[in-house]
Amino acid sequence: MSENYKILPFRFARFNESEYLLTNDVGEYIFLSNEDFEKFINKELDVKSTVFQDIASKQIATTDNVEDVVNMLATKFRTKKSILRDFTSLHMVVPTLRCNSSCIYCQVARKNMDDHEADMTKKTAKNVVKTIFESPSPCIKIEFQGGDPSTYFEMVKYIIEEAEWQNLFKKKDLGFVICTNVTLLTPDMVKYLKKHKCDISTSLDGPKELHNTNRPLQDTTHTHEKFEESIKMIRKICGNDCVSALMTTSKYSLGHFKEIINEYVRMGYNNIFLRALNPYGFAKQYKEKIAYPVEDFIENFKEGLDYIIELNKQGTFFIEGYASLLLKRILTPFATGFVDLQSPAGVGIAGAIYDWDGNVYVADEGRMLARFKDYYYKLGNVNEDSYQSMFNGEKLHHIIENACTECLPMCSECVFQPYCGADPVRNYSEQGDMVGHRPTSDMCKKNTAIMHYLFELLKKHDPEINRIFWSWIN
Amino acid sequence: MKQINGTAFNIEADILGRITLKGKSIFSRKDEILVKSDAKDLPSGYAALITNSVQIAGRKPCVGNVQTLEDFNEGDVVLINKKGEIVFLYEIKSLHNAIFATERCNHRCIMCPQPPVAEEKDKTPFNLKLISLIDKNTVEIGITGGEPTLIGDKLFDLIKQIQKYQPKAGISLLTNGVKFADKEYAMKLAMCKHHDLQIDVPIFSDIADEHNRIVGAKTFYKTVQGLYNLALFHQRIGLRIVVHKQTYKRLPQLADYIYHNFPFVSQVAFLQMETAGNANTNLEELWIDPYDYNEELKQAVLLLANRGICTRVYNAQLCVLPREIREFAVNAISDWKDTYLPECEECKLRQQCGGLFASNQKHHSAHINPNLEDITASACV
Ligand code: SF4
Ligand code: SF4
Repeated sequence: MSENYKILPFRFARFNESEYLLTNDVGEYIFLSNEDFEKFINKELDVKSTVFQDIASKQIATTDNVEDVVNMLATKFRTKKSILRDFTSLHMVVPTLRCNSSCIYCQVARKNMDDHEADMTKKTAKNVVKTIFESPSPCIKIEFQGGDPSTYFEMVKYIIEEAEWQNLFKKKDLGFVICTNVTLLTPDMVKYLKKHKCDISTSLDGPKELHNTNRPLQDTTHTHEKFEESIKMIRKICGNDCVSALMTTSKYSLGHFKEIINEYVRMGYNNIFLRALNPYGFAKQYKEKIAYPVEDFIENFKEGLDYIIELNKQGTFFIEGYASLLLKRILTPFATGFVDLQSPAGVGIAGAIYDWDGNVYVADEGRMLARFKDYYYKLGNVNEDSYQSMFNGEKLHHIIENACTECLPMCSECVFQPYCGADPVRNYSEQGDMVGHRPTSDMCKKNTAIMHYLFELLKKHDPEINRIFWSWIN
Repeated sequence: MKQINGTAFNIEADILGRITLKGKSIFSRKDEILVKSDAKDLPSGYAALITNSVQIAGRKPCVGNVQTLEDFNEGDVVLINKKGEIVFLYEIKSLHNAIFATERCNHRCIMCPQPPVAEEKDKTPFNLKLISLIDKNTVEIGITGGEPTLIGDKLFDLIKQIQKYQPKAGISLLTNGVKFADKEYAMKLAMCKHHDLQIDVPIFSDIADEHNRIVGAKTFYKTVQGLYNLALFHQRIGLRIVVHKQTYKRLPQLADYIYHNFPFVSQVAFLQMETAGNANTNLEELWIDPYDYNEELKQAVLLLANRGICTRVYNAQLCVLPREIREFAVNAISDWKDTYLPECEECKLRQQCGGLFASNQKHHSAHINPNLEDITASACV
C-alpha cells in the first residue's frame, strides 16, 4: 500500500450490483465500479489514471497539499450553507382560522365562517410585524396562511400595510404571499394584492372529481368550477404567472398522477410539486380514510416524474418541483432555500409561524401539535416575549442542535446527506423524539427512494434528460 | 505587431509619437509624427517625419523611403528607431490594441507565444506616455505582458491613466492571477473602480499538477486563491483555456470543475493555440489537429453554456468546429495575425470566421473545408 494520495472526507453507498456512489460534503458526486472503489480505498489507484484524476477533480482525494484543497472545499461549503447567514426569512402568519373549505386532510382547528373567535387582533398583528422585522435577514417574506386568509382580508391588508410602513425604515427586500383557495377573492381584492406585490398561492389537487373529493368547499358541490373561474379572473388582472398551485396527495390521488399532471398542464401551469401527505397527528379514523403507505407515494412519484420528463421531451416545458430542488442540490454549487429540507433544519432559523393568538412556532407542524396541547415547539408569544428570548432562546438552540443531518444517526453516514435535510418536529410527532429513527422513518424512505431514482436517471447520461433537468434548474 | 521599415535620417533615440496625415497646429505638434508623401523637409514642431522620399534635407528626425504610406492612419501611435523601423503600438482601426506592461513573467508556459525576458528596464513611464497618446474614443484596451502584475502597484497607474485618457474604454487585463492571491493587491485593483474591467485568467487543468506542469510553476492554488479574492471584491473575471495536446483530454472535466469551483466567473473562453514562440519550439508535444479535439471541446462548451455561463470559442476555423458549437465562436485574432488559406476565398462563412493565425499557416487543421452553401453561424457577442 503506497501513500501516494490522501483521501478526503466522503460518504458512499453501494448503488447497485456493480457500482458505488460517492458524495462529499459540498455535494459533488462520482460513481465508481466495485473494482475501482476497492482499489481507491486501498490506495492502489495510479494517480495518473483517469479514474483517480476524476476523483481528485471532485476533491474526494488529492495528491496536493491537503490544506489547499480543504480551503477550496471550505469556500464551497460556505456557499452551500449561505442560507444560514441570513437567518429567518420566511414568516408565516395566520390572520384567522376561519375557512370556507373542508379539505379531507385538513389539520387545522378550522372555524366556521361566522365564528370570529380565532381572528387575530390588531394589537397582536402589530406585534407580529414588529417581531418579524427584528429578524436580521435582508429578505423578508410574509406568507398568509389559515384557515383561509381571504376570509379575513381586512387583517391581511392591515398586516401588509403595517409591514410596508416598518419597511420604510428597515429597507429590506420585502415580499408577500397569500395561501388561499381563491374562491372568495374578488377583483378588488386581487387588484389590491397586485398593487402590493403579494403573490397568490393556491391548491389544486387534480381534475374535477379528485379535487372536489380532496378539497370540497362547504357551501357548494361546484368547487372545481368556482376555482377555475377565480383563477381566470386573477390571471386576467395580474397575468399568467402570479398564481402558483400546490398539490397534496391523498389516498384518492394514488394511481392518478398522470391525470393530475394533465390537469396542471390544461390549467396553464408549467410546474407541479408532487407532495406527499404528512399524516401525523391525525385521529385514527382519519388516517385510515386518507393516509397510505409511503411506498405507494414513491411508486406514484416515479411514474409522475417519468411522465413529466416525457412531456418535456415532446416539447412541453413542465417542471416537477421536488426533483428540481434536489437536482439543484446535486448538480450545482449553489445554496437552495427550502425550509422543509435543510440541515440544520429550517425550523425557526429559516421559517417561523405566527398563529392568530400571537403564539410563535418553529414550524407549522409545531402549531398542529399545539392542538393536542403539546406546546414544545412554541417559542413564545409576540405579545409577551422579546425577539431575543424567542429566536435566540435555549429552546431553539436545543432544537437546532438536534437537527443537523451531519450528525444525526444514520444521516451522518448517508450518501444522500448533502442533499437531504432534518425535520425534528416531524420526527418528534411521528417517532417520539427529535432525533428520530431513520430505518422506520417515512420521510427518509421517501427521500432515499427519490434521490436514488434521480441518480439512476443522471447515470444514464441521456443528453435529452440532462438538458431537461438543466432547463428546470436554470 | 505591425511594422514598416524605411531609411532612418537623424534618429538618435527611439521616438514615440502619434501619426498625423493632415497636420497639426504649431502649438500641438510635439508628439505628432507627420506622414507626408514626397516631403523634402519637416515643418517645425513635429517629433518626426515619415515619407516616401529618399532625399531628405535638414537635421530633423525622419524615416524616408517608406513605400506604403497608405498603411498609416490618423491617430495611430508608432515607435521609430535608429534602424528606420516603424512599430505600430496602437492602431486606431483595430479593436485589439494592448499595452505590454512588462515582458517579464513568473510562469514559463510550454506554449507561450511570446517567451518572457529575465530583465528589463521599467516600461511604465513609456507606457504612461503611450496611453496619453492613444485616441480618447478607443473602446477597448488590453493590458498584457509578460505578466502585468509583476510591475506591482504601477499596474494601477496604467489603469488610472487609461481612465483619464480613454474614459470610455473597457480594459481587459490578461494575468495569470497568481499575484491576486495577495488579498490587498486584489483590493487595490478593485479600488481603481474601473467601470469596465475584465480580468482574464488562463487555467489549464482541473488537476493542479497538470496545470503546474503546463505553466512551468507550482502556482495552481495561488491562482485559485487569486480568483477567490477577485470574486470577493466583485471583479469581473474571464477564464481562458488554451487547447492543445496536453489540455484537450480533460476539457469536459475542467468545465465541470470551473462550474463547481468558480461559478462566479462571467465568461469562459476556449482558445485554439497559436503556434508561435514556445508553442513552435515544443510543437511535437503540443500540436493536435483541432478537429481531433472537437468531441471534448463540444462537451465542455455545451456543459458550461447549459449551466448559464457565457462561453466562447476563440481563434477557431468555423468549418472545423462542430456545428452545435459554431454559435459560440468569436473572431478575435488580432488583425495583424489574421490570415486565411487560399481555399477560404470561396467560403460563405468567411465573414464570421476567425481564419488562422499567420503563424499557423504551416500548422493548421487538415479539415479546412470551405462552406459553399449559404448558411450563417451566428457569433456570440
Ligand atoms: S433522512 Fe435518510 S436520506 Fe436523508 S440524510 Fe438521513 S438517512 Fe439519508
Ligand atoms: S474555409 Fe476558411 S473561412 Fe471558411 S470556415 Fe474554414 S477557415 Fe473559415
